[in-house]
Amino acid sequence: MPSSLSNLRALCAAIALLFAFAHPAAAQLSFKPTAEAVQEDKLLNALKEGDKITGRISIPDSMASSLIQPAGRDWRDFHRSKLPIIGGVAILGMFLLLAIFLMVRGRIRVDHGFSGTKLLRFASFERFTHWLTASCFVVLALSGLNISFGRVLILPLFGAEAFATMSGYAKIAHDYLAFPFMLGLVIMFLVWIKDNIPGKVDWQWIKQGGGILANGKHPPARRFNAGQKGIFWIVIIGGALMSVSGWFLLFPYLPANVTALQFWTVIHAVIAMLFIAAMLAHIYIGSVGMEGAFDAMGTGEVDLNWAKEHHSLWVEEEQAKGRAPSGSDTHAVPAE
Amino acid sequence: MKSFLAALAFAAIAAFCVSSVLDTIQQASSVAYTTSGARVGDPGNNLIGSN
Amino acid sequence: MARVKFLCDADRCIECNACVTACKNEHEVPWGINRRRVVTINDGKPGERSVSMACMHCTDAPCAAVCPVSCFYTTADGVVLHSKDLCIGCGYCFYACPFGAPQYPKVGNFGSRGKMDKCTYCAGGPEADSTPAEYAKYGANRLAEGKLPICAEMCSTKSLLAGDGAIIAEIYKERVMKRGYGSGMWGWKTAYADSPTG
Repeated sequence: MPSSLSNLRALCAAIALLFAFAHPAAAQLSFKPTAEAVQEDKLLNALKEGDKITGRISIPDSMASSLIQPAGRDWRDFHRSKLPIIGGVAILGMFLLLAIFLMVRGRIRVDHGFSGTKLLRFASFERFTHWLTASCFVVLALSGLNISFGRVLILPLFGAEAFATMSGYAKIAHDYLAFPFMLGLVIMFLVWIKDNIPGKVDWQWIKQGGGILANGKHPPARRFNAGQKGIFWIVIIGGALMSVSGWFLLFPYLPANVTALQFWTVIHAVIAMLFIAAMLAHIYIGSVGMEGAFDAMGTGEVDLNWAKEHHSLWVEEEQAKGRAPSGSDTHAVPAE
Repeated sequence: MKSFLAALAFAAIAAFCVSSVLDTIQQASSVAYTTSGARVGDPGNNLIGSN
Repeated sequence: MARVKFLCDADRCIECNACVTACKNEHEVPWGINRRRVVTINDGKPGERSVSMACMHCTDAPCAAVCPVSCFYTTADGVVLHSKDLCIGCGYCFYACPFGAPQYPKVGNFGSRGKMDKCTYCAGGPEADSTPAEYAKYGANRLAEGKLPICAEMCSTKSLLAGDGAIIAEIYKERVMKRGYGSGMWGWKTAYADSPTG
């Protein structure tokens, strides 16, 4: 009897609860979701360019708070469609330009021929700095281009495993050679800034096209002509941009924000393509493009006639300081 | 030639030194993303390999 | 062939994190790697919604498109997987992924982030199905045993649905019609743009 009574009481309580919940007022929660509640469509439409839908998470990694970042789609489009065009036009275009220049203008010769007398142009420390920066640049450029184009150009030739292994090492080289490259940039800046300030002589040099197109035309120039000063500033400014953007890519937890990281990869990639194109021109003129030019960085000593034709004011300055031969007797070799 | 070779050697050595330094500040995500409230033992190597 | 998808019904998700716990347990995911996570929008305010988010296994996967070593592949079921043997840990997939799915074992520099890890739809990886080698690299392979992902199986409110895209889309539509509201199939427009209804 007592158990059935308690059972009956329990049943009544349950039925009472049911009525309570059935009553609209009692069933009213403090917050009832409605159609106006947060909707994905509305949020996505309200997003500004590059913005993302974020929320609260229980994970210490702050980047996990991003729920949807539509900018990833634009970043993907840029890297697969626009960047290859920028890179292709800049780099292949430069190759084409240089090839045409070589065909039309030919190698720039020393008009009066080599004198056999030399003067020191770059000290060994300057050459060391240049080659430090340059050799790092070459490896950085190739490994970087591998990231952008390797999948399309190189992977089909070597297969996935070999390409992935090579790319892994290339990426490691890229990351760690960036540091000696940055050091080389700083030293280069400190050592050569004073000779690379633009001046009136440079404007005259530019107006005469540097004498680059016509035979026998040699506008005066100091230690560095306007073209070289242009290269210096491209290297310093371009290098600085690559360094800053590269720094954030090296340490992605510094910005700890996927949108910022996307921005830095775009800077890094675009500047890289332009930088490489400019360096191709520099490498050309310093090797094939002009006879006698490579000696400056190779041995450090350049021929006097070459120097008189391309850096006449610099030769005069060096002669005044007693650091260069007068060159009045360009063919005789002293017996003693 | 000497300065070129010296530059190559310096670059290689510098890169190696930098990699050693950066390896010391490298953190496993199990360490980097552990707050003071969590007591995490050995998270194991599944999915991430032993190195 | 069925094209599998994830659908999180944000109006049902109670942020219990059972999906997260189930995934972590099933694949022995180390601390710091978050294959699945729950994000709460408008926390504490009217219109609060929680969404369980992991790799959505997109139709035209942006991760696969940007990978410099092309380590991704899509299975016949539509599952997006990748090879940790080819992965160089560069992080590009993370920049492209709209959902932040890629995870890395190390937090330091680009150079040594380690191999990327992400939700595999409980479908393992390129290693042979259901072998210890596959488990050590990619976790459990439930799909090979004919089972659905454990996160959806363990969802306490059945807000997280996994399976044939057409079927789960239909389930969600029925729910929306029955209760009269729905905040959307979170991520479907972004992930499955060319097959929005399944």
